[in-house]
Amino acid sequence: MIDDQLKNIAEQAKIDLKECLNQNDILNIRAKYLGKKSLVNSLYSQLRNLPEEERPSFGKKVNELRNELERMIDEKEKELKLQIVNAYDSVQANDLTLPGVYFPPGSLHPLTIIRRKMEDIFISLGFQIAEGPDIEDEYHNFDALNTPEDHPSRNLADTFYLDNGYLLRTQTSTVQVRTMESYPPPIYIISPGRCYRNDKPDPSHSPVFHQVEGLVVDKGISMADLKDTLQFFAKAMFGPEVKSRIRPHFFPFTEPSAEMDISCVSCQGKGCRICKNSGWLELAGAGMVDPSVLEMMGIDDQIYNGYAFGIGIERIAMLKYNIPDMRILYENDVRMLRQFSRELI
Amino acid sequence: MIVSTRWLSKYIDLPETLEELVQTLTFTGIEVEAIQEISALPETVVTARILNSEKIPGTEHLQVCIIDYGKEPLQVVCGAPNCRSGLITAFAQVGSKLPEMEIKKTIIHSVESAGMLCSEKELGISDNHSGIIELPPETPVGISINEIYELPDNILELEITPNRPDLLGYIGIARDLAASLNKRLKLPSINNYPGEEDSSLHLTLILQEPQKCPRYTARIIDGISVKESPLWLKNALIKSGLRPINNIVDITNYVMLETGQPLHAFDYHKLLPINQEDPHPAIIVRRAKAAEEFIALDGNKYLLDEEDLVIADGQRPSALAGIIGGKDTAISNHTTTIVLESANFSPSTIRKSSLRHKISTDSSYRFERHLSPAYLEMVSNRALELIINVAGGRVCNELYDAYPVPQKPLFLAVRPSRFEELIGYKLDASLINNYLQSLGFQYILCGLWQKEPINEYKLLPQAMELDLETSDNQIFFENPQLALYFLVPSYRVDITREADIIEELARLDGFDKIPQKKLIHPIMDWHAHHIKRKIEDYFRQSGFYEMINPSFIDPIKLEYLGEDKAELEKKLIRIVNPQSSNQSAMRTTMLPQLLDNLLYNLNHSERNLKLMEMGKLYWKDGNKNCETLHLTALMTGLNNLDHWKVKNEPIDLYNVKGVIEGLLDQLSITIDETKNVHHPWLVESDNLAYFCNNHLCASFGRLKAKTAERFNIDIITLKQDIWVLDFKVNTLIELTRTNKIEFSPLPKFPAVIRDISFLINFSVPYADIVKSIKLVEPYLIQDVKIFDEYRGKGVPDGWHSISLHIILQDYEKTLTEERVGQVIDSVIKMLENTWQIKMR
Repeated sequence: MIDDQLKNIAEQAKIDLKECLNQNDILNIRAKYLGKKSLVNSLYSQLRNLPEEERPSFGKKVNELRNELERMIDEKEKELKLQIVNAYDSVQANDLTLPGVYFPPGSLHPLTIIRRKMEDIFISLGFQIAEGPDIEDEYHNFDALNTPEDHPSRNLADTFYLDNGYLLRTQTSTVQVRTMESYPPPIYIISPGRCYRNDKPDPSHSPVFHQVEGLVVDKGISMADLKDTLQFFAKAMFGPEVKSRIRPHFFPFTEPSAEMDISCVSCQGKGCRICKNSGWLELAGAGMVDPSVLEMMGIDDQIYNGYAFGIGIERIAMLKYNIPDMRILYENDVRMLRQFSRELI
Repeated sequence: MIVSTRWLSKYIDLPETLEELVQTLTFTGIEVEAIQEISALPETVVTARILNSEKIPGTEHLQVCIIDYGKEPLQVVCGAPNCRSGLITAFAQVGSKLPEMEIKKTIIHSVESAGMLCSEKELGISDNHSGIIELPPETPVGISINEIYELPDNILELEITPNRPDLLGYIGIARDLAASLNKRLKLPSINNYPGEEDSSLHLTLILQEPQKCPRYTARIIDGISVKESPLWLKNALIKSGLRPINNIVDITNYVMLETGQPLHAFDYHKLLPINQEDPHPAIIVRRAKAAEEFIALDGNKYLLDEEDLVIADGQRPSALAGIIGGKDTAISNHTTTIVLESANFSPSTIRKSSLRHKISTDSSYRFERHLSPAYLEMVSNRALELIINVAGGRVCNELYDAYPVPQKPLFLAVRPSRFEELIGYKLDASLINNYLQSLGFQYILCGLWQKEPINEYKLLPQAMELDLETSDNQIFFENPQLALYFLVPSYRVDITREADIIEELARLDGFDKIPQKKLIHPIMDWHAHHIKRKIEDYFRQSGFYEMINPSFIDPIKLEYLGEDKAELEKKLIRIVNPQSSNQSAMRTTMLPQLLDNLLYNLNHSERNLKLMEMGKLYWKDGNKNCETLHLTALMTGLNNLDHWKVKNEPIDLYNVKGVIEGLLDQLSITIDETKNVHHPWLVESDNLAYFCNNHLCASFGRLKAKTAERFNIDIITLKQDIWVLDFKVNTLIELTRTNKIEFSPLPKFPAVIRDISFLINFSVPYADIVKSIKLVEPYLIQDVKIFDEYRGKGVPDGWHSISLHIILQDYEKTLTEERVGQVIDSVIKMLENTWQIKMR
């Protein structure tokens, strides 16, 4: 009779397990057969009522049943888990051609992008960034830079003057002056910033524009260093194949003065519309710092010398991105800006 | 290398203070890793002889002793097992302050005791507490124990770089110090020991592996008595971190510490001959045989192979060369005759065997770093002298010396001009000579520089007439190829090129003498640079397009904004020669230009716009011109660009707040106050300004339709809000200038998150709810975050439902379920009491 009872329990468990569908069912079955108030446990309580001599064989049988049930339930559980894992790993019906979700970034202005590129290039060469005010006095903008009283650049037609006697800097060389006033050599700086000249806006002019100027004052600095630095910059900005040259020019605050050209980025020097068939593009004004500028700053020009250069950010941006008209840069059209959202900097 | 300054001072007069010594070592290139000062004992702890000792009846081991410490004999009670008549020991007089006690007159078992006989532990000298100190019988009584133990002393732990094996001995360190301090190196005088001819005590020495063992020397000493080492020897070893064993082993270790050259001693009579009939034992330097067994001093059995080099006798390995000796031939108390090995082994052989068998010893450590074979005889003689002094005996026969290929001399040239090129200042040729001489270099001649090292005297270039002491250094700079030739001491295996010599010179003359040629000034404001870039990147990443507008403005447009005309007049800087009236003043705000940009882009069918400009604003303050960096942004339209899966919502108050609060968070700026701004162009209700330490950082608001209209933008028809955001970039830069990110240790216990939802009156600000919750348990509640807000069906008018994550973290222990429950209960109670919330 007891054997039947055990057998029934086992049979019933088999049926239950067959109908078992998920983890929850397993839990219930485990409780029903093996838990505290389970069928198997109730068998153990029958043990007490049995005669002494039957107890060992009964106990053994119940234990065997218990082990068998445990085995069956574990096996079913494993099987269920495998089903779940297999289902998870099986093919899903997704259309992989539908676009993914991503939040598109905006864009920095190309002038900012170029400014940052230029800053990074010169920082890699050991330059520091120095900044100064846009609103300047005549001393820092002209006198200290060796510009004569009667120089045409001081005209109203060239320079914006303010109602309180100040003016808007016509170049960021003013920052060079201010740096030399505050720090003795060696000086290795660049000064990016806004400049103002009373030019009517046209494809290559804007009354407000941006510059990066550089200044080096140290012992043993020669024009060869300047040439090297400018060439490094040109290659870093436009690629290793770009050629550069410097040719004589005039600026009041450098002696000798030069302008730097690079081989045309559009036609590689063969001659085209952009370089006006010359094969060369003007990129920067530069030169050795005029001894009288150093002298005015209290720097002994027999011990120290230096070089300075100025590069227009708009010019670089237009050349690098092939923008035909400077005014496009100031329209702030997001359709233009969007084209630069993938720039690396 | 562990160094006692007392021991070191045998070879050089040390600087007055420990600080100076440490400083000199550090700047000579020997890093001092740890300093242990052993202080002196009171002068009242002296040597004393036990004249008489008697057991105190009724005690197990207490004895009453009469002692002589140079004054009146005293009675002392002692419990040490080794206390006995005639012993000379350490005696602490009444009143002595020992590390752990003060000695007082006491009565023990009714016996008066006037002081204490001490163990080393009681005096703080070592951990030995097995009995009272036993001093040699010849020790005079009544002298200070400090004298016996050489106290006070300082123990320095020095880091010796692997290129300087010559510094793995006291003399090497002293030599560097002497060169650096310009002091004389005091070397122990070393005698030669010709040895008495004794045909009965010969040795057969066979060197089979000259590649692995460039030189092997051996000496035989007969008639020694092996015993405990004298105190000075034991002390010296203990202070340098070695354990005393017996006088012979201790001397080999002492000499190793002194010279850097490891030595080994074999028991002569335990070495076997090659053939049984040979009258003399053999020493064969050979490769081990495959699977040859070797039992080392450490008691372990090692299975050797052909890559191992062994010192074998006629039959079996007696030592794993340069690493560890063998058990069978070790010195024992019965040893009377020893073979003293002073040998040189190739670093790679030692390194490989040491790695393979996982044995690292003081000996292998030194051989691995490449020692010179040139000084073996000298080191051997030094040990002989000590052995004869300490253990007695006589030296038999001559030095056995197998040195098939003697080391060649090395001559190197150093140019004073090159020193200047490389180090940056001129060093006098006479100083160069002095420094190198004190390092053991020998000056040969002055001649033209040659790059390749020279190994033979006759290959040296022609000498120039030059007296280094009196010569004008200028000659070396007029002729930069002029060089000084030196013979490199063979213990400096690291010096093989001119650059190595220049390094020595620069190091000894002191790196502090190197001039700072270019004083590059910190001109750049790196912090501002980084913050500006971070802000630019933040807006770009948040979907904004950057505008760049001229610095000019049309003054009329400022009036469009509703700014006060009189106020404007005070601050506006006008241009004397503008190109047109609408560009006739310096901008005091970027808003009008951005609104123009917005209109332009709206007119080009761009509806969802996020625009920003970071630029300068200009105004005058009396006579002063002011320029500050500012950022203004506009947001309008849908928040996300059109996407099939994302629900498109128009930009609302919280999107705008998110932009501002996200940036402030990114800059680690903690806002302590927010309040309304009263700009005439912003709608009164929907605007807010953010303050930190009373500084306005940022503000935002919804643009009035009336204002927009003046800029030709029809918000009503457009059906989208325009939001204006403003940041004072200068303020953001200054507020973050001293910010730093500091790692905080990760919590060891998991955080617990509990969610609560409740109904609360709409008038209660969320910020107040969060603040008050955090205050309930400030150390446990790390954060409170809202994850749902609901108004409408099921919620009474004027109320809303708020759902919060409450994040609890205990850094000390695991949070129990019970504790979490308590905290949440107090939070709920607080909310109920304060705002009569209704839990959901």
